[in-house]
Amino acid sequence: MRSILALVRKEFIQVFRDPVMLRLIFVSPIIQVFLLGYAVNFDVKLIPMALYDFDRSQLSRDLARSFSVGDYFVIESPRIPLQRIEDGFKQDRYRVALVIPEGFSERVRTGRPAEVGFWVDGTNANSAGIAIGYAGTIVQRFNERHLPTRIPIEMRQKILYNPEGRSVYFMVPGIVATLLTTITVMLTSMAIVREREVGTLEQIMVTPISKTALILGKTIPFAILGFLEISAALALGTAWFRIPFIGSKVLLYGLALIYLLTALGVGMLISTLCRTQQQAMFFGWFFTLFTILTSGFVTPIENMPSIVQHITLANPLRYFIKIVRGIMMKGAGVGDLYPEILAMVAFGIIIFTSASLTFSKRL
Amino acid sequence: MNRIGQIALKELRHIVRDVRSLVIAILMPVLMTFLYGYAINLDIKNIKLAVFDFDHSQASRRLVSDFYNSRYFIPADRVPSLTDPEAIFKAGRAHVILTIRPGLEAALSGRFPYELGLLVDGADANLAAAVTSYSKIILYRLLEEMKGNRLNVPRISLSQQVLYNPDLKSSHFFVLGIIAVILMLISALLTSLTIAREKESGTMEQLLTTPVKPHEIIIGKVIPYIALAALDGLLVWAFGVFHFGIPINGSLGLLSAFGVIFLVAALSIGILISTLVKTQQVAMLATFVTTMMPSVLLSGFVFEIRNMPRVLQAITYIVPARYFISIIRGIMLKGSGFDVLWHQALGLGILALVLLTIAIKKFEIRST
Amino acid sequence: MPKAVETRDLTRAFGDFIAVDHVSLEVDHGEIFGFLGPNGAGKTTMIRMLCGLLKPTSGSGMVNGFDIANQAEEIKRTIGYMSQRFSLYGDLTGEQNLKFYGTVYGLNSRQLRARIDELTDQLDLGVFIDRITGSLPVGWRQRLALAAAIIHRPAIVFLDEPTAGVDPGYRRTFWELLYRLADQGTTLFVTTHYMDEAEFCRRVCIMHQGKPIATGPPHELVDAHGEKNLEATFIKLITQGATGTG
Repeated sequence: MRSILALVRKEFIQVFRDPVMLRLIFVSPIIQVFLLGYAVNFDVKLIPMALYDFDRSQLSRDLARSFSVGDYFVIESPRIPLQRIEDGFKQDRYRVALVIPEGFSERVRTGRPAEVGFWVDGTNANSAGIAIGYAGTIVQRFNERHLPTRIPIEMRQKILYNPEGRSVYFMVPGIVATLLTTITVMLTSMAIVREREVGTLEQIMVTPISKTALILGKTIPFAILGFLEISAALALGTAWFRIPFIGSKVLLYGLALIYLLTALGVGMLISTLCRTQQQAMFFGWFFTLFTILTSGFVTPIENMPSIVQHITLANPLRYFIKIVRGIMMKGAGVGDLYPEILAMVAFGIIIFTSASLTFSKRL
Repeated sequence: MNRIGQIALKELRHIVRDVRSLVIAILMPVLMTFLYGYAINLDIKNIKLAVFDFDHSQASRRLVSDFYNSRYFIPADRVPSLTDPEAIFKAGRAHVILTIRPGLEAALSGRFPYELGLLVDGADANLAAAVTSYSKIILYRLLEEMKGNRLNVPRISLSQQVLYNPDLKSSHFFVLGIIAVILMLISALLTSLTIAREKESGTMEQLLTTPVKPHEIIIGKVIPYIALAALDGLLVWAFGVFHFGIPINGSLGLLSAFGVIFLVAALSIGILISTLVKTQQVAMLATFVTTMMPSVLLSGFVFEIRNMPRVLQAITYIVPARYFISIIRGIMLKGSGFDVLWHQALGLGILALVLLTIAIKKFEIRST
Repeated sequence: MPKAVETRDLTRAFGDFIAVDHVSLEVDHGEIFGFLGPNGAGKTTMIRMLCGLLKPTSGSGMVNGFDIANQAEEIKRTIGYMSQRFSLYGDLTGEQNLKFYGTVYGLNSRQLRARIDELTDQLDLGVFIDRITGSLPVGWRQRLALAAAIIHRPAIVFLDEPTAGVDPGYRRTFWELLYRLADQGTTLFVTTHYMDEAEFCRRVCIMHQGKPIATGPPHELVDAHGEKNLEATFIKLITQGATGTG
């Protein structure tokens, strides 16, 4: 027990002695929360739209105006002729163009179907798709309003948990989960490998310290650092971005502890595989990148091809992200999350045990 | 020149001897391309929809099948009827719950007001917004069709034309962005690490006591990593073109020229970091914070710069990847030439020059 | 009473390469035992096996009556180890290093305080104990490393090239410290390739390509081979070994 404490204390002295390291450990969650909080924004709105109205009628102006209602499109009268609209796309001045042909209102008035042109820069497939969706809805509603009879069927919609639709509510819980992964996997593996590189690990191995004490002593400091980091991220998220924290904090930290078994275990496994810090860093990077991208952190797992979806079942972060989001945003409890909790416990036990077994006190 | 060659050769030996790192350096871009090309798809579909149909009419069945037949919604996991909706959301069994109260069929005659209930799990704001717009489209289409059949009224339709990426494949968008991220990662990270490693092990001191000039050390050390980064970039590019079918609409010569300028900027950042830190661990973290995160988040790689707060938008101007990503997308997808890209080129050029100058200055101060 | 160190046909192979090849030797309690040989003779591998860091490929060995194959942890309680590399934490102070190792060896804080004071005195650590060890001159680092290795009063201390890279004047001081330790009854197992140092040992074993080629008190070896000093004897033995006539 005392040797565990000695190791933990030593590790902390080393971290706190290095001012750059210290700053990075604590500044990086803050930067991540700020960056992701502000930069991550899937809202596609205020799409710059070039308007070519060749009809110049009341109806065409009405149609154009309906595009600018609701912050979806920003209409600009282009200074370039339609033949050279591509230049506007290339320079990224417009993302879409609406072309209302001559005789448009005449056709509508005389009861013939009329067509308007909608040009889209497809480079960003996501926002292009959404822009097309918006345009379709706008035109249908426009039709709806100009149709002779109305059917009074409306959609009453209620959005739970995040009614204003702020991406940051969704991202910060994800950051909490990914931060814990990155910090613990990277720091644990690199700390062990560094001691091996320098030769101090050999010195510790000849002491009578038990294997358990050595493992705990090398992992606890990073578990603590991980907890400090997620606390910083949570504090910033709730204080600055005013993200609601509906569920139980105790439950969140408790489950984070279970998750740490996996993350620390992976860090240890990497350290037994690698000889140099650079290798450890690469492996750690590889692992975190893969788990983060397939965890549902940025994009829903349901959107992935089915083979990738199956792979994600073996991704411990997937469960933890769901748990953190469930607890923070929906106030989910153990009863709601038990399949994820069971999966995480299983992962934790398997990975930490196999890491402990492969971790040897011999060279 | 010979001395630079010797240093480069030594560095190359380090790289080749460290098989594990080399494998990762080659595998990482392939994996990233694969993940972003396939797994990362911002297009929202497969939304889990649970339906409580209390109307049991032909109209309600038609509405439900319209929802499921659109490519957006899929049936939710088994949901016991009359469960508390919040419990369904908390367990993640469904994203949306559609409640059809009795009276839909009758309402279609147009005499009674009627409301459909749509309950959305708003945790993922993006998904919630998509649900709103998709479900409205489905409902309006159905209504329009039913009315249209009865009234046969003219309607305005939209003829859309998608330029550059008609199939709206997000892989085109992402894979090209990855090239920038990979170039940045490999060159900045490996450069800062290799210099930090020599400092840590004391061999840098050894080198500096020889007649080799500081800039020769730097150039020599950096050359192999330029090669490695270029190789990685080329790998992703080839993967994108041959596997994902990304078109080549512009000049590859122009693209390579910009690639070189971008690499200079990336390497300068790497060198700069290495002059400021003492250990590899810190070099890694610092590179991560100063290059990787901005290149992914503040470059327009995934998230639109246009949508960011002004302060962040201003910061993006010092992120080299911002320029390179617009350049590579412009050249490859839109066939843009220098005439439209010149201001991106100017920005990137100035940035690279400034970074390089600072890096060299800093390095010479530290080493004398 | 068992010997301090006792091995029988101890062998360790790394793939095809046999680093230690059927070594049998005995070391008495309180003895300074020199383990000599050119670089690559298998000295470090031998020490690592005796400390329980490496498992032997074949053969057996006992340290303080414990089997090195399956009682490594018991051995570790009774030995100290000073490796070839400087293996204290360069970013901690001397005292922080000593406290760390002392605690790992199970000393409580009162014992630790007393022991650090004692060692400071005995090894003349003085003002350097509060400095970051990474910035100390090599000689002082070696002293601190020795202090860390003996903080728990081990019965045997294994020293792997303890004086490599240290200037001759200082090497003499360091050996005086070792003599003092031996006087107190500690067994010292020292590898070195400095022959002048080897003359300080009570007995030496000369290794060549993983095999022991001569064992005995230094002066006896010198006399037996009719050479003027250990250095010359060593060179003679090694060249014979290399040409295969020894």
